[in-house]
Formats: sequence, C-alpha cells, structure tokens
Amino acid sequence: MTVATLDTRTPMPHKSERGFFSLMAPGARRAFFYLFVIGVGFIIAFPVLWLVLTSLRPASGMFYVHRGTEFTLDNFFEVFENRIVIKAYINSAIIATLATVLSLGITVTSGYMLSRFRGPIASGWFSIIYVFRCVPYISWVLPLYILTQNLGVYDTYLGLLLPHIAVHICFFSWLMKGFFDGIDPSMEYAALIDGCTRWGAFVRVALPSAVPGLAALAVLCWLWTWNEFLFALLLTSHQTPVLTVVMAQFVHELGIEWNLMSATAVMALGPALLITFFGQKYVITGLKI
Amino acid sequence: MKGWTAHLRAFVAAGAMGVSALMASSAASAVEIKIGYMKHPIQEASIAIMEKWAAKNGVTIIKIPMAYEIFMEKVTATLTSGGDQYDIIWHNDDWGQLWKNWLTPTNDVPGMDTVLKQTVDVAFLNTDGKPTVVPMAHTFGVFYYRTDLIDEAHLPKTWDELSTISQKLQQEEKVKWGFVGSMAMNHSWFSWFWANWTNNCDVLAPAYERDNKVLAANGWKPMIADKCSQQVVEYWWDAINKTKISPPAMISYTRNDANAIFQAGDAAFTVADLTLYGQFNDPKKSKVAGKINIGFLPLGPSRTEPVAWNDIWGWAIPKGVPAERKEAAKKMLGAMLLDKEGQIDLWKATGGPPPNTEVWKTLAETDPLFRRADEVVFKVMKVIAGGYYTPEWPAIHKAYNDGVVGALNGSREDIPKKLEAAAPAIHAAAARTN
Amino acid sequence: MLALIAPAAVTMALFQVVPIILGANASFRDWTLYDPKKTWVGLKHYIEVITDPAFFGLAIPNTLLFLVLSVSLSLTFGLGLALLLNRSFVGQSVVRTIVLLPLMVAPVIASIMMRWMFNDQFGIVNVVLEGVGLPPVAWLAYRWTTMMVIVLADVWLWTPWFAVLLLAGLQSLPKEPFEAAAIDAAGPWRVFRSLTLPMLRPVIVVCVVIRSIDAFRVFDQVWVISGGGPARTTEMFSIYAYVEAFQRMNFGKGSAAALVGGAVIVVFGLVLYRLLNRAVEVSK
Repeated sequence: MTVATLDTRTPMPHKSERGFFSLMAPGARRAFFYLFVIGVGFIIAFPVLWLVLTSLRPASGMFYVHRGTEFTLDNFFEVFENRIVIKAYINSAIIATLATVLSLGITVTSGYMLSRFRGPIASGWFSIIYVFRCVPYISWVLPLYILTQNLGVYDTYLGLLLPHIAVHICFFSWLMKGFFDGIDPSMEYAALIDGCTRWGAFVRVALPSAVPGLAALAVLCWLWTWNEFLFALLLTSHQTPVLTVVMAQFVHELGIEWNLMSATAVMALGPALLITFFGQKYVITGLKI
Repeated sequence: MKGWTAHLRAFVAAGAMGVSALMASSAASAVEIKIGYMKHPIQEASIAIMEKWAAKNGVTIIKIPMAYEIFMEKVTATLTSGGDQYDIIWHNDDWGQLWKNWLTPTNDVPGMDTVLKQTVDVAFLNTDGKPTVVPMAHTFGVFYYRTDLIDEAHLPKTWDELSTISQKLQQEEKVKWGFVGSMAMNHSWFSWFWANWTNNCDVLAPAYERDNKVLAANGWKPMIADKCSQQVVEYWWDAINKTKISPPAMISYTRNDANAIFQAGDAAFTVADLTLYGQFNDPKKSKVAGKINIGFLPLGPSRTEPVAWNDIWGWAIPKGVPAERKEAAKKMLGAMLLDKEGQIDLWKATGGPPPNTEVWKTLAETDPLFRRADEVVFKVMKVIAGGYYTPEWPAIHKAYNDGVVGALNGSREDIPKKLEAAAPAIHAAAARTN
Repeated sequence: MLALIAPAAVTMALFQVVPIILGANASFRDWTLYDPKKTWVGLKHYIEVITDPAFFGLAIPNTLLFLVLSVSLSLTFGLGLALLLNRSFVGQSVVRTIVLLPLMVAPVIASIMMRWMFNDQFGIVNVVLEGVGLPPVAWLAYRWTTMMVIVLADVWLWTPWFAVLLLAGLQSLPKEPFEAAAIDAAGPWRVFRSLTLPMLRPVIVVCVVIRSIDAFRVFDQVWVISGGGPARTTEMFSIYAYVEAFQRMNFGKGSAAALVGGAVIVVFGLVLYRLLNRAVEVSK
C-alpha cells in the first residue's frame, strides 16, 4: 500500500474537522493520514520485520543484524533438513485446527447457557470458570504432566488437545455469552412457540446469528494454539513433535541457535498470516461483546 | 449454514481418526533404548558413537530431544513419578545430587576405570558411594583471547593486567571492549565464579571445598561478604563504570549476549566453555574465526597460583528401567567409553574433551588445541568443580547471583554493605541441605 | 441446561480442575521436585510465602505496577487503532493484517526478539539512538528501563487484541447519535468524549477485566527479557512462584505462592469489575 494508490472516492468521515487540518487542501490531508497509517503500521510490524531479517542472516550475523550485508536462505534449508520439522508443521496445524473446532464446539453451548439462563446453576458455572481461570499455570502444569502420563495420553494429540480446550473454556464462554447477549432472544421464543425444542431453537435460530463471532474467535484460537509453548513443551515428546517445541530445541545449555530459531519462527508465520489475512474480516466484525 | 455444520462434522471425524491412528502407531518393537537428551553437538556426537554399537548388536536407539528450558524439570518429574519415558538420560554435575537416588549405579559399566575419577566423585555419588553417571565429555570454561590483538607471551596474568591491556587495546581503537562475559542468573560462571576462584574465593567457605560434610561442619558459611568477594564485585564495578573495559549492560548478559559480542569481534577477551571453541572458530558462525586461542585465567590480588575448572557431562540410567534394557544400556555406554576412535572423533567434531583419559595422550601429541587445554586445565594443580553438589545448589546460586548483581548495581561505596545484607539468604539456602 | 455445559465441564474437570487440586494438595505437603516426601505440613508454605517480604513487598507490587501500565497503555493504543480502522480507506485490509501481526508470532519468540533489540551493544534500538546522535542506553541493566522493555513487549503483544475487540464494539454502535453530532458540527474530540467513549464503556470493562487477570499472571515476557532481574528488581509474582517451584525445586512452596497469587487475582478481578461497572452506571 502506498500513497500513490490513493482513491479519490474514499469516503472520509468526520467532515467537520476544524483547525490545522482544515487549512490544508484535501489531498494533503489525505497524504498526512496515509503517512500516519504507514508510520503506525511500520512501528507495529517492526519486530516481525526484524525477525524476518534475522532469519535471512548467516549465523555470524544473527545478532548484529544491522552490521554486514550478507543474506542467505541457508537457515531455512538447514531447518528443513531436519525431518522432524515437516512432521511438526503438520502436527501443529492439526492440533491448532482440532483445538479450535473442539473448543468452539463445547464452549458455544456453555456461552449460550450463560446468556439465556439465570439462577444458581448459571451463576455457579460462571464463578467456577472465573475462579479456575485465575489459578496460575505454575501450580498445576506439573500435576498435569503426571496426569497425562497416568491417563496414557502423554505425547499424543489427545493429551495436548484436551488441556488446551480446558484452558479456553472460561474466556471463550465469557465472550460467547457476549455474542448471544447481542442477539435478540425473541426469535428463539417465537421458535419455541412454533413447537421447536430448546435445542432446535438454539441450533436453528441462535447459532447462525452467532457465526460471525464464532469465526472471529476461531481465528484467535487457532493463532493461540499454533503459538503455544508451555503445554507443548511439557506434554509432547518425540512422537508428537509440534513447531514450538522444535523452536525451543534450538536453545541449549551453551547458547541459542537464534538464526535457526528465527527461521523456524518465520516459517511458522506463514500459515498464521494466511489464516489472519482471510479471517481478519470476521475477526474485525465478529467480536461483539 | 448446513454446509458449515457438515464441514464441522467431517472435521471432527477426521480428527478422531487421526488421533486413533497415532495412538496405534506407538506400538513397541525389539530392544529399544530411548535416550532423553538436549540437542547439542556433543550429545549428538556421543549418541553417534553409541549408534555404531547399537547397529552391530541389534539394538534400536530412539532419540528423544528435549528443550533445555524444561529438561531438568521434566526428567525430574518423570523419575520421581516412576514414568517409563527414558532408558538413558543426559546427566550434568549441576543436578548430580538431585537425581542420585533415582539412578542405577554405573560402577560396573566397562571403561569406568578410564575416566577422571575426581570429576565423577565430586558430584555423582549416591548415598552408597557408588557413581551414577557415565561421562560423555568434559565441559568447563576457559580464558579466550584474540591472537590478532595480543600474543601468548603478553597475555594478562592478573586482573590488573587484564584492565590495563584492555584499556590499551581500546585506546588504540583495535577493539571496542576488553572483556565480555555473562553475569545474569544461571550464567555466573563466566564472570563472578571464575573471578572468585582466581582470588582464593568461593560461594561457600572454605574456598574450593565441595565435600558437603566439611561445608556443613563449617556452618554453610557464605563468603560473599568476605574481603576476597568484595574485591571481585569491586573489580567488575570498575570494569563497567571506571576502567570501562566491559559493556555497560554486562550485568544483564547471558552467555548468548557475551558470545555474540566476542564472535562479532567486539571484545578482546572472554571466558566461555571450551566446547564453544568450534563455534568461535567457524567462519560461518564467527567473525573471529582463526584468530582465537585459550590461556590461563587471570589471577586476582589474593592468589598467585593458576586455577582451572573441570566438570563433566554424562549419561545416566534411571532405576526403574527393566533389567533387559538396563543391561543393554550399560553395555552400550561401556562401548561408547571404550571406543577410542569415536572419542577422538568427538573431540575433533565438537571441541569437547573426551572422557576416556587413555586417549588424552594421543590427542596431546597430535592436536595443538588439546595440548593447550592440557596445559591450562588438565595439568593445573588446583582444579575446581563448577557447582556445589547439594540439591539446594540452584537456590544457593540464585541467592548468590541476586546478591552480587544487586551490589554491583549501585554506588561503589555501598558494595560491602549490600554484600553483607545478601549473606543470610545464601546461608539459609545452603543450610537446608540434609 | 446442564447438558449445555456438560462437555465443557467434563473437559475442564479432568484437565484443569484435577491438576489444580493435585497442585493445591502439594502446597500443603513437603513436596520437593527431587524428593517428594508428601508429608503433611499444613499451612507452613503459605505462612512462609505470606511473611516473605519479597512476596507482598516486591513481587506483588511489581506485578500490579506492570498490570496497570500494560493494560492502560494497550487499551489506549488499542482504542486508537480501533478508531483508525473504523474509518474506511484504501489498503484497509492490509493495515488490519499488519495490526494483527503481533498475534501471529509466538510470545516467547517475540520476547526473545525484544531482548536482542534492547541489547546495549547489538540491539537495533541503540544503533538507531546512536545514529541520530543520542547516547546509547544500557536498557536491561537498570530496574526501570528493564520494566519499560517488559511493558513495551507486553503492550506490543496485546494491543491488537484490544484493537480487535474495541473495533467490533465500535462497529456495532448505533449510527444516529453520530449523524446528529455531525449536524451539530461537533468536533471530533467532543464526539469521542461524549459519544464514542461512553457507548463503548461496557466493552472496555470486559476487555480490561479479562486482560488484567491474564496480565497478573504474566510470565513468558518477564522470564525471557529479564528473568526478574537485575537482582530481583523486576520480579513478578509468577516469577517468584516459578523460581520457588522449579529453580529452587520446592514445588510445595511454589504451588502455595501461585495459589496465594491466584487468590489475589480473583479478588482483584472482582473488585475491578465492580468498580468499572459502577463507573459505567454513574456515567449513564
């Protein structure tokens, strides 16, 4: 996006702006606006751009990124030589997708319940998810590790998925409650009077209206699971390697292979970018609470 | 909306199939030895030696790399909860006493008589006095210098010389900094500890003592407020603020920061692991490749004889491993120790001195770097182990590091007072040893 | 009604509640990582934590300071971005994607990146400072500059989150009051003060409460950037608990510290929610 692509038909709201900017010609105002947008975008994107630049530097320049002009794709080749990376890539994608689908699947009803029902069960459920969300991971990741071993799901998809879903329950239920709060319940009551069951009213009437919100949450959930470190490090091993664990292995006791780590991180950025680019429309419009 | 729910259902079904397929694929085969380790060239090279033996003896090795960040925590939890995840695990002197009761004694592993006994005995004996480790390589820090800036004859022999030589090089604009080394928690060796050791000083009194009985009899007394330790902190205070031979933010450095600066050619001297020699000397990774060598640690005002530091990395076998696999693991580790060619290859490939002392003579005759290491480390009379060998060591280290970093981060006059204030926390941590 | 929450409740019970109870159990016992004797010690660990001046005197105040700074700054920037993205202009979808960039990088990687960027020797920040003739700063060597870097990393990571939620809120606002304001020729600042902000308040309340709970438990950024240093000066409560449980190996005490901190968050979150809600009521 550059200033040259300016479209004169772009509607500019706040036509009543006064003072400094109103003294300028409309074109200059727009140029200022775009300069501002580009500046803000650059600041936000900078750490990521720097990460990309780092991943293109040879190991001798991975810290002094600004010094020297050697650039190379070797880091990426070296990362891909490790057969486990491809497997981890696929595993990460599967786990992020499944975690998204399942988390949304089980929290959508929970959010609906919080929104439509009153009484001790609803408020009790809300208190429970609120209180348990407040418990810091440090007190329970270790028991979780031992628990997944005892249940025989350590180092499997299931063993990583279920804890992920569990920790999403509070936040997602809370947001989903917001989505359903924003949907007028009178349509559902009409459906109920027409002979629909409560479940039918939920599936046919309430759920479709909540889809934009669900889509938005899906994007966020996918990104969170894709980038999650702690559970992945603890609950997986050689059979179910995921990308973040592969990244963490570039740190060893005597140092960090930052060039390879950043290359892996940049590789992981690809699918995340795709998901975000195509999902951002929903993210922006869907998250009404 | 119908399409959407159908997709969802298909997705869930596919996921469930994936899960069950994956669970089925984890069935066992013949004799499998699972090795839990950290991805590091030395460990990879050591496993490569074992793989030679495994291929000949019909054993399959399954490599389970683990991130360093959680290695110790995860393995500790596995050992204490009786999990059967690993048959062989990477072992390190830092947690030698932590795991001693959960590991199989290794005194009957062939080749254990060829290793340097003191490096095993200092940290890895269980309550019956039996070793619980099979050494893989020696790891210790050495003093690195730039051969393009200074020759061997003019190396700094004392801290003062380190400052004056550094300042001279900096004034001549040959190099940006004199000395760079890490100071942050868990990286104390490359500034605080080596300076302590070269000044007749240590974390606990008496200096250099590692026998817990002696330390306990001495009341787990911290040396942090002693004169020698005060000199250490004042030296680094000066290095950062007065003589300016070290970068201003060195107090926050991990070894990554320090190594990065040395490898970029911005420092004349550093203290780092000898096993990093390969990395420092690799033109692909370092701007100072071909321009480095190692020397003696410069001595502080209280000491006149050289000191060196020597520790090992090793392998261990958890107690809970079934007898058959335990037997195979012992044989394989023994074969690793006795494979002299493999040991020499390990040194050539990584710069990690091999554990079998019988190959040292060959290496000293043929390899200039090993000869130098022999001179500045192995032949030095006073050899110090890097840690303290009580389960409380991480707590002691943390309390010590917080104390010295806190004292350095202020005015020079306040140093003695702050060190005095930090001593009780170190004592409290150490005295919890039972 | 119970059927609606059953799947969520079962998953949570098994993979969150059970481990939390096991962890809580450990906090009452002599439970070191390397030698879990599991003998009952009652409230010993809790008393140790509560009476430790480093907990309520250092870790909790640091955490609260971090929380206030991080949440208020990311709220401000997030709101600014939301207002920006609420206009329509060419290239909007690209800008939206850029704004969401921080959500696409693993927080641990982003934190490592920040740490290198603020290194006094090779960090790009000092290179730029020196480039424009300013003296370089040893960012990570002092308490407040280190705290600033940690807050900055967190603000960078979480501003998009605020922006997204607030933008959705903005877009669901009714159009009429804004049209009326335009007819009255009200300035943009007045429109923002007297229309946008009051109408967005409910969304802001929920965002701030949820984010505060999470900011209170911040770990990755602090651990990677400073490790709580130099010399414990930027130690947050989660670092305190981590160091006790995993560095000093006293899982019982670490767990107790985590749970005391958890209790502080529960109360803090409730009070914050009430206060903010009251502010909303009053403003109506």
